[in-house]
Amino acid sequence: MDVSQYLEIFIDETSEHIQNLSDCIMSLEQEPDNKDTINEIFRAAHSLKGMAGTMGFKRMQHLTHDMENVFQEVRSDKIKVTGPMIDILFQCLDAIEGYLDTIKNTSDEGTEDNEAIINNLNDILNGGDGTGSAAPAAAEPEAEKAEETAASEESAEGFTLKFLDDDLSDQDKDALKEKEESGQNVYGLTVYIDNNCLLKSARAFLVFKAMEELGEIIYYNPASQDIEDEKFEFDFSFFVATDHELDELISAAKTVSEIEEAVGKKITLADFEKEEPVKEEKPAVKETKPAPAAKPAPAAKKAGKPAATNKPVTSRTIRIDIEKLDTLMNQVSELIIAKNSIVSISSANDGAGVQSQSFTEQIEYLERITTSLHESVMKARMVPIESVVNKFPRMIRDLSKTLDKPMELVMTGEDTELDRTVVDQIGDPLQHLLRNSADHGLENAALRMERGKPETGHIFLNAYQEGNNVIIEVGDDGNGIDTQSVKEKAIERGIVSAEQAETLTKKEIIDFLFMPSFSMAKKISDISGRGVGLDVVKSNIEALGGDVEVKTTLGEGSKFIVRLPLTLAIIQALMVEIENEKYAIALGSIQNIEDIPVEDVKYVQAKEVITLRGSVIPLIRLDEILDVEREDPEAEKNKTSLTVVVVRKGDNYAGLVIDRLIGQQEIVIKSLGNYINNNKIISGATILGDGEVALILDANTLI
Amino acid sequence: MPSKANVVTTDSNKKQYIVVKIGSEQYGIDISYIDNIVRMQKITRVPKAQPYFNGCINLRGDVVPVMSIRKRMGLKADEFTNNSRIIILKMEEHGNLGVIVDMVREVVVLGPEDIDSYNPETRDEKSQFIKGIGKNNGQLISLLEVNSIIEEKENV
Repeated sequence: MDVSQYLEIFIDETSEHIQNLSDCIMSLEQEPDNKDTINEIFRAAHSLKGMAGTMGFKRMQHLTHDMENVFQEVRSDKIKVTGPMIDILFQCLDAIEGYLDTIKNTSDEGTEDNEAIINNLNDILNGGDGTGSAAPAAAEPEAEKAEETAASEESAEGFTLKFLDDDLSDQDKDALKEKEESGQNVYGLTVYIDNNCLLKSARAFLVFKAMEELGEIIYYNPASQDIEDEKFEFDFSFFVATDHELDELISAAKTVSEIEEAVGKKITLADFEKEEPVKEEKPAVKETKPAPAAKPAPAAKKAGKPAATNKPVTSRTIRIDIEKLDTLMNQVSELIIAKNSIVSISSANDGAGVQSQSFTEQIEYLERITTSLHESVMKARMVPIESVVNKFPRMIRDLSKTLDKPMELVMTGEDTELDRTVVDQIGDPLQHLLRNSADHGLENAALRMERGKPETGHIFLNAYQEGNNVIIEVGDDGNGIDTQSVKEKAIERGIVSAEQAETLTKKEIIDFLFMPSFSMAKKISDISGRGVGLDVVKSNIEALGGDVEVKTTLGEGSKFIVRLPLTLAIIQALMVEIENEKYAIALGSIQNIEDIPVEDVKYVQAKEVITLRGSVIPLIRLDEILDVEREDPEAEKNKTSLTVVVVRKGDNYAGLVIDRLIGQQEIVIKSLGNYINNNKIISGATILGDGEVALILDANTLI
Repeated sequence: MPSKANVVTTDSNKKQYIVVKIGSEQYGIDISYIDNIVRMQKITRVPKAQPYFNGCINLRGDVVPVMSIRKRMGLKADEFTNNSRIIILKMEEHGNLGVIVDMVREVVVLGPEDIDSYNPETRDEKSQFIKGIGKNNGQLISLLEVNSIIEEKENV
């Protein structure tokens, strides 16, 4: 079978399963007895194995199979979860990820057998701790061996006659009895559908159809309605009353495609009258391996069922190429421009008196539709940052071991959503900040004790939305940034002179850390210290239209605040006019708009400020900053009041002095290209309804 | 229908140039760089941009920066007339760019034999703008080196 067309799906789903496994193993480490987690892990490992097998990746299949075996034993309480075992499982995950990477690059799994890991896994199975020591006799080593052979030959758990455990209702028993009395043979069959089958109920239907040609089905498990609704795993059982032989039934069932196996047995009412002994009976079955391991399997399957019922909810998604969404987004942008031009035509016509009321209403209607269309398309592009941050707990765990510092990561707001393009690029900077916290931020345990802090270092990652921005805070309760030693380092490196250094503010000193090749680490390690860190973090985040801010208290910890724009394409903006030039200011950064009488303008250090509700806010004359030529400079001086737009960046405010307000408008951000360089004051341009180009002011750079 | 013109243009050695007037001189721009020629329209000034950028225009929904080739070459400022045009150049890696010219005259085909090399006495940046002098029916056409016009030398 040509499976290459499924490769992409395989890669996506495998990554999901690996992530899932990683999360589960992490929580298993915390509570080794949690049955739900173990079941979840078992399912993920099982799916991985199935997928790898279907795609023909034998080595990957082998590895996942052995991993699954370990969980099988854990699940049936035969072995306990231990620290070394968790380590091996993580190694195992890394190896699977390695396979996946190779598959991504070459469409082939490569030749790495990972035998060491497989040996370790088998060692665990044999009751050892996975470190290669000789295996002491485990509870049922024989059974495990047997199971392994059975499983590897059959490539899945043994196929059992599941109906033997069923409790038949009186009605079913009557039917069974009746058929027996009429001299027909009654056979019980269990049919296993291929794990990758997509239309299970359709396959089941075909099996039933084939059976009904040969006899009469008198009992279903699960109930026939449930089978129709696909409310079953990969097997189902039924009884057939027939004059034919069992062999014929089994081969008829197996002619249906995607049926992995069908097993059956002649049954009598007596089988179901007695309680326990039935289970003990070794069914004389065709084509199954009646291995001892067959016994735990039904129990295992049952345990897997309840949690699987919520599966359809998560799979109500389709994967769309991001380019298609980009195209859609562009088209929506064009639509908004077209809508804006209709709006401006309609308002231009106002004076002419040709405006009918319904025309205005329709325009308002159009406006609402385009706005919600835009929102919907934006939302389609939004993904929770979860997909990026969920690998961090594992990373911190590993760092904790490497650095030999106890630490824990607490994350909040993983469901905060961001534009897909932003999410894709935010991973590395965040990872870097976390590594910094782990390596430089947190003190070692001894020092922490001395300082009266809990021994375990605390690293946090908080994400939340604030207006048109998403804020991600990464920090720790460690040492904080020692501005004094940063200053000394800067002097030593010749960046500033000793005299200059004295006048620097705390913020300016911290800014040194963001300079290329400025490292504070005393020694270079694998984790950090090469000085290619924070400057890259900063430039990556700025490339996404965001910024980084640092808050730190020596001895108490530090916090990096990453601010990212929610969207990259369309924003709500306030249009303002200066002389006759129009500018847009993102609504997200605007705090309020004030009319300030000229006499309220005060001076601090020869700079204009205003006091607004108790806080002193510097004034920025946009006409001066933007070199606007005044036609009548005298008129400017004689103004009695100023229109001030107060903008906010973090905790800082500034008042932008403008001439006139035009109003709020939805604007499509267009790039100015890279020919023009203008100190970042202008973050882009937009096209107004009348076709005119207006520039977008980046208020952040003005503060 | 293989017309004579087609035969000429497919000759790999010959290139088509659009002849434009800037000031009193004629300049030629390699037609393969040209995306479009549009009439003058309202140019939005971009503050703090390099002095030779007039601003940007709306080209069918795209924002395109517009450069004054006169200012770039150190000539006196543009006077916009009815003949003024904006030539939109398409540069692969940088996107589109408009340049203002006084007038667009014609398209000419020049082969290597029609082009004399240009060896200015000084090797300053502005001399790099001309890659050769083309001769067409007794008229001289300075052929513009588009790449060096748009490429920014540090601290110009």
